[in-house]
Amino acid sequence: MKAPFSPYLSGIKGGLQKLLALLRQDYDYVSILATDSKGLSVRISQRARSVSSETMTTERGVVVRVYRKGQYSEYALNEFDPAAPEAAAEQIRAELKRQEETLEAVGAAVYETAMLPDEPLTLFVEKETGELPESSDVKALVERLSALSARGMTLGEDMLDCILRAQSTHICKLFLTENRDLSQSYVYSEGNVAAVASREGRTQMGYEGVSGLCGPELFSQLEHKLPRAVACAEELLDAGRIEPGEYEIITSPEVTGLIAHEAFGHGVEMDMFVKNRALGKEYIGKRVGSELVTMHEGALCAENVTSYAFDDEGTLAGDVIEIENGILKTGICDALSALRLGGEPTGNGKRENFEHKVYTRMTNTVFDSGDDTLEDMIASVKRGYLLEGMESGMEDPKHWGIQCIIKLGREIVDGKLTGKIVAPIIMTGYVPDLLGSISMRSGDREIFGTGGCGKGYKEWVKVTDGGPYLKTKARLG
Amino acid sequence: MLNTIVELLNKAKVCAWSVTAQKTRGWEFYFIRHALDQNRVRDVEHFTVTVYQQIEDGKYVGSASAELHPTSSPEEAAALIDSLAYRATLVKNEPFTLVPAYEEEKESAAPIDTAAIAADFLSTMKSLPETETEDINSYELFVSEKTTRVLNSNGLDVSDRAAASMLEVIVNARRGGHEIELYRAFTSGSCDAEGLRRELVKAMATGRDRLQTRPTPNLGKADVLFSTKAACDIYYFFLARLDAANIYHKFSDWQPGVPIAEDVRGDKVSVRTLRSLPNSSANARHDAEGSRVRETLLMEDDVPQRFIGSRRYACYLGLEDSFIPGNVAFSGGTHTEEELRKGPYLEAVEFSDFQVDDMTGDVFGELRLGYWHDGEKVIPVSGGSVSGSMFDYLKAMEMSAAQTQYNRFLIPSLTLLRGVTVTGAEKEE
Repeated sequence: MKAPFSPYLSGIKGGLQKLLALLRQDYDYVSILATDSKGLSVRISQRARSVSSETMTTERGVVVRVYRKGQYSEYALNEFDPAAPEAAAEQIRAELKRQEETLEAVGAAVYETAMLPDEPLTLFVEKETGELPESSDVKALVERLSALSARGMTLGEDMLDCILRAQSTHICKLFLTENRDLSQSYVYSEGNVAAVASREGRTQMGYEGVSGLCGPELFSQLEHKLPRAVACAEELLDAGRIEPGEYEIITSPEVTGLIAHEAFGHGVEMDMFVKNRALGKEYIGKRVGSELVTMHEGALCAENVTSYAFDDEGTLAGDVIEIENGILKTGICDALSALRLGGEPTGNGKRENFEHKVYTRMTNTVFDSGDDTLEDMIASVKRGYLLEGMESGMEDPKHWGIQCIIKLGREIVDGKLTGKIVAPIIMTGYVPDLLGSISMRSGDREIFGTGGCGKGYKEWVKVTDGGPYLKTKARLG
Repeated sequence: MLNTIVELLNKAKVCAWSVTAQKTRGWEFYFIRHALDQNRVRDVEHFTVTVYQQIEDGKYVGSASAELHPTSSPEEAAALIDSLAYRATLVKNEPFTLVPAYEEEKESAAPIDTAAIAADFLSTMKSLPETETEDINSYELFVSEKTTRVLNSNGLDVSDRAAASMLEVIVNARRGGHEIELYRAFTSGSCDAEGLRRELVKAMATGRDRLQTRPTPNLGKADVLFSTKAACDIYYFFLARLDAANIYHKFSDWQPGVPIAEDVRGDKVSVRTLRSLPNSSANARHDAEGSRVRETLLMEDDVPQRFIGSRRYACYLGLEDSFIPGNVAFSGGTHTEEELRKGPYLEAVEFSDFQVDDMTGDVFGELRLGYWHDGEKVIPVSGGSVSGSMFDYLKAMEMSAAQTQYNRFLIPSLTLLRGVTVTGAEKEE
């Protein structure tokens, strides 16, 4: 079925167009993004259960962007009355004027920027979905997750809890300018199993997730993830500590995705180029990785949780080759940063929600596959680790440092897995060293979309990342 | 809108309900260097509704929640509440009660002038003593007036209004062709101009040091001194393990009256919630559920005195007068700065992202700037990481008696963890 576009947004569209026309009398450029995204979230553990209609991306509101004399301003509101656009226009004018008076009083200069182009475009997209979160059978879902939680408890000897989480969001967005009229509706879902095991005062969690550009029908896949999550939690209870040092490593697709995201995902967000905060700006056209490194980024790269038709500035979704055979080709860019840098936007202007500013943000960030097998890769390691499961990462675009917190490492000695496990692992290093050492890549690849991404320490958005198994070298602690 | 919601909830076939209404009037300014990138206004109100149902004659309680938008029509709101009433019957939880009604303390409502607070921040940023080699790369300012009102079916109706500010600053330092950056974030009520200026001047000096770092040596096990905001994560570990939800779910095995570690040779930690701290953004009379915020001793000298948390988990554990803590003081340090800075130690100043996992106790962070005090010299270092387990460090943790406030946390100014694994950044031979 098609995910139907929001009747609420259709209902206020006329009022928003009037608001736009009213504001155009005072401003040279006006755009409006209106959102109405509904969701379903179910969380089941052994001792606590919850149902909510809120997810990370549910929202309803309007954000107006205006431009005058080189300056961009925005006003976010969630009480727009389509019958009274004059009142909203007056409110917006008055409050932005107060801000300008404050800025003038402190003598603030303006980072003058050209006006955004406004090429005519009309688009109406309703993507396919199996079910909708707002009309899903919640009773059946609660029963299914409860049964899985109960079954998970029987799969391990030390299980403390088995937590199932299922979230689905129906995104609807409307973008208007004088010449643009874009509407999109799509559903994405994500679910995970968190198995918690405890023994002799030590507690560990194994985690497995699923995600996709689809409705709650996705959650049937959680059953297959259950045994692996439980096994991971139990294994972690027996894990030892790693001896710090530099090792040959093989990264699982999940860890590969984390590297893609932290290494050159954040590193080529071009709003950071405007601020001179990213070293990548000086490396366009230069080598940053081995010949085996090719990396794509864009909403069109994969069908997953952030595969929209247009971004939050009305730029159509793209597919950018950031690194090709080890050479940094280009970055990703929101519309204002593109104006400031003299380039083209890539469809990566995203907001946490209508209340937040647009930044250049990632969508799907993925390493290309190769033609090695995992068996050959393991056989080639003299002494090292197969790294599995991601906890978190932190970018450092200015200095190209990288921090990845990884769930566990499986020891490899003389080309064989020894069965010994170490955890947790902190992988640190210099990005070009890490990517420059990539010597093998598997033929398969996976993409993961259950996490969120912050810009620094805030501005959370959905992203996915992934790739194949990679063999490289890294410093582990 | 709130009246409509309450009217609908009173008519709904549910055993209880609660509503939180949060209104935000916010101003935001984004700067590149000192030129305005963008100015923004946030003018929003959010209503979060939760309904509760008794299941199997009160053996269980179910709940379901949703945001009700201010633009929802009465029909849309009624349909949503109906759907919540049904969904609440699907999840069986142990029974608990909502916060009872009580008489709200009267407090004079001082006006909040968002424009004046913003102007204070902007003037302070313009007046910083920048140089050719240390300056401000960019900053983002968020100033808002937040009004929160909590109502429930017990007749509770309390509200709080407060200023909340956040300033995120990127500081650059350069020498020759090499430039580095430091990240600073300041959360507060209004603008503490003097404190802000002091911290940013200090950050610029730190930037100078970062330009002359060497790779962190492979120290193996070393004593690590935390002297900056990163230490808040160490102290949050204690607060999280005293949280009623973590106790109920058995993610924390701490028990009242039982020391959290045996054979402790170092300082012992005490934890106390506070009603207010100077200019804290967490100063409020009530928590998010409407419970009254109080000053409460949670742990004394490494011995948990009581657990604390949301109403539901407090009910499960039989805790009286519980609430979700805002401001928290951590104390127990017995040392002077001079005592803590004896002998070889690594002073950790800047991390990529320092983390302490409150469930596993795992500690980790990539070092962006540290000072290796080798007993004779002080060497600025960067790269590599620190890692280990809080459960190991509890036995010999030492703290300064002097305290420093980081918004809602008042913590010892210096914290020394012994025997931390330091993975260096030096190339292996």
